[in-house]
Amino acid sequence: MERSTGSPAKYRMEGRILLLIVPLFVLDGVLGYWGFHYHHLHPTGALAYLCAFLNSMPMIAFIVVIGLYLAEEKDDFMRALWVQSMLWGIGVTLTVTTFCGTLAKYGQGPLIDIPSIQFVFSLVMIFSMVVIKWRNR
Amino acid sequence: MKNRLRVLRAEREWSQADLAERLEVSRQSVNAIETGKYDPSLPLAFKLARLFGTTIEGIFTDKN
Repeated sequence: MERSTGSPAKYRMEGRILLLIVPLFVLDGVLGYWGFHYHHLHPTGALAYLCAFLNSMPMIAFIVVIGLYLAEEKDDFMRALWVQSMLWGIGVTLTVTTFCGTLAKYGQGPLIDIPSIQFVFSLVMIFSMVVIKWRNR
Repeated sequence: MKNRLRVLRAEREWSQADLAERLEVSRQSVNAIETGKYDPSLPLAFKLARLFGTTIEGIFTDKN
């Protein structure tokens, strides 16, 4: 069996993801569910601003956690892998949103659900990380 | 960049995981360096040289 070669920086990042990002994504899901099923009960005023702020938090938290990891990680190769994955995530997300946004502008497609963009980014980043790691297994 | 890492590692009967542990990097890093997919940073190259008791040039050679 292969030994675990996780660095201390990676373990700290995983801890931060569990403590910070997972609860925020759960909250994000709850807010999304509420918005989808109870659209007649949309929050207004300060509550709407609070919901929007909480909805944007996972993305900021994710970037901060990855940034801290990149600063703490001593393994250059692993740092390069994470940077590559982030570039894939950013690139695909911007391409998809620009494509869908342009179509929606011309009335040719449905308007993309803006809060779901962070899920697209996370999924692409995780997928690209798996592919890059598999290529360098 | 070409390197003699696989040979040096084999001489000591170390696995990639053994070397990774000694260098405090991931096994994937050792594999990427060995296969020439990734060039190590200067500090890691010095660490490798110290570990194998040689110079950086003794491990890595320029393809040109």
